[in-house]
Amino acid sequence: MDPIGLLVLVAALLLATAAGLLLRRRDGRIRRGAATGGWALAGAAPGAEDRVLLLQLSSPVCTPCRRTAELIDDLRARRPGVVHAEIDVAQRPDVARTLGVLRTPTVVAFDRAGAELLRLSGLPRRADLDAALDPVLGPR
Amino acid sequence: MSVSDPQLDPRGVRFAAALTTVVLAIVLLTGSGWLLAAQAVVFALAAFAGPRFAPYPLLFRTFVAPRLSPPTEREDAAPVRFSQLVGFVFALVGTIGYLTGLAALGVVATAFALVAAFLNAAFGFCLGCEMYALIHRFRTDRTTQGASA
Repeated sequence: MDPIGLLVLVAALLLATAAGLLLRRRDGRIRRGAATGGWALAGAAPGAEDRVLLLQLSSPVCTPCRRTAELIDDLRARRPGVVHAEIDVAQRPDVARTLGVLRTPTVVAFDRAGAELLRLSGLPRRADLDAALDPVLGPR
Repeated sequence: MSVSDPQLDPRGVRFAAALTTVVLAIVLLTGSGWLLAAQAVVFALAAFAGPRFAPYPLLFRTFVAPRLSPPTEREDAAPVRFSQLVGFVFALVGTIGYLTGLAALGVVATAFALVAAFLNAAFGFCLGCEMYALIHRFRTDRTTQGASA
């Protein structure tokens, strides 16, 4: 038995548990941000009926990114006025830098004028995201 | 990384991560460079040949999956292969450390791989995938700065 190895093992497991609990609490939590110019970053312009742009920053090797895209597809099907744009941070690091995003997936929501409404990292919680968009999308 | 990789049962991915955690814990406790070398081979098989050719997923399919209900969701193989590649690099560095007498290097590299495997097994969190975004951003930041300088 290697006593240093044992010590490192215990420390690593404690650290990983703390990090895991912290990340789990943070995942999907809705935060406020003050970014602007969302539509330009997505290379799009809002159509007459569009009210919200959900700009998703993703990596090609990220399972939660794919789940997030599915969840937003489902949201779009239920609630008109939502536009979804997905950007690969590997190809557009400038977008990640402009928005100050370090994790994928991160979803940043913008209103018609391109001002940020909210953002969240990790897999969104469906009910929370729905409720957070009520003020701009109107009642369900 | 082939696009035609079949999709994976996420429970199998976490099962493999749990076994990896146990093996890496034994490496830390015994200081065995050879056991870490074996784990490096396991990582390499999953990363380069694909998870379906690696031993832990094989154990899952043979002994565990038949006792479970069919998977309700599936996961793409590419992210998993990437994380196994990251694991392979750490296991390789650790093996070199242990086998050349640089025990500290072996311990540190093994601990990093263990944290990643444990986060996946216990929380379903893919550290390799998160690192991809960070590393890539850092790399392009440097190239753009270099180009504009």
